[in-house]
Amino acid sequence: MQSRSLSEQISPVDAFELNLLRGGSRLIADLTEFFRDYKVDDTTFAIYAKGNTRNKGLFLSRFFAWTVLPNYPVSLFCINEGKTLLSTESLRKRIETVTKVTDEDELQWAWLVVLSDRALSPQIVSFVSRYDRKELGLAAASTSSKQIVLSNNQVGRSIGKQLKLRKALEPNKHWRN
Amino acid sequence: MEKLAKIQLTVLASYSMPFVLLSALLINTLLVNNHVTGGSLKILLLGGAFPLGFLAGRLIYVKRSHVEILFDDISFSVIKGSRETETGSWRSFRLVSLVLDQFGKPNLRLYRAVEGEYVDLPISKTNADPQRFRDHVQSLISGVRIRKTTPQVVEAA
Repeated sequence: MQSRSLSEQISPVDAFELNLLRGGSRLIADLTEFFRDYKVDDTTFAIYAKGNTRNKGLFLSRFFAWTVLPNYPVSLFCINEGKTLLSTESLRKRIETVTKVTDEDELQWAWLVVLSDRALSPQIVSFVSRYDRKELGLAAASTSSKQIVLSNNQVGRSIGKQLKLRKALEPNKHWRN
Repeated sequence: MEKLAKIQLTVLASYSMPFVLLSALLINTLLVNNHVTGGSLKILLLGGAFPLGFLAGRLIYVKRSHVEILFDDISFSVIKGSRETETGSWRSFRLVSLVLDQFGKPNLRLYRAVEGEYVDLPISKTNADPQRFRDHVQSLISGVRIRKTTPQVVEAA
């Protein structure tokens, strides 16, 4: 239960979560609570993180956030499909589940990251890159080919820039304790 | 029972520093009274203020702020200083999460019901790996953790 040794490899999901725990999303959202294997209906989210858009910071940045930034509740959902084939149908189902949670919890927007151990099919690449609903940022990533596709909206593009998803997929560059 | 604990150096230092200063003042007064006013002996004796101050600080730290989490596969207890602040059985919780405190340190949150009453375990004040400890606790807690969403109403055209 104690700190990991330096030689220990961690899974992409663990690495992605570790980056978020260390404030990887801070510039966009302050995610403060992290669940693992969170089940919603028949979907299991490997990571479900809750937070809001107003970050904490110290003195000046806290004052800036309090006076300027809106305080919207936001969430991040991450699904690990493993070796299961990621089809557009299953992805649509995941999006539907996330949308239901977003509506129920009155979230302003959410991130959905889907990890797969298989290469991404052209249909998935096309579907994700053309997805443009502004309330949901979508990303599909292959842990084998390291390919990452982001949705064509601002929330989606931030998954690549701010959440550093690519770094989580690279086994030699995992964040370690 | 397994034990998770860590000496919180910043807290220990904050308790110790006033005693270090106080010890240094006392030693200096003694040295002045004994006409030791310079040289390496004075520096050496003044240096003794650090172990004395840290000893006093450590006594207070252990009595008031040292956090230990004792756990096995059935139950856990949190000891802060000389008091047991929290105790419970893993089976009485249904959901576990990692919560970042105001300094961005991860602590463990145990929910008795989904979105209900909860208990926080201060694992950031111990040597626990947050993710591994959370995963271990998740395997111990009971209950089916499925959240049901309400079906969306679709208007007929």
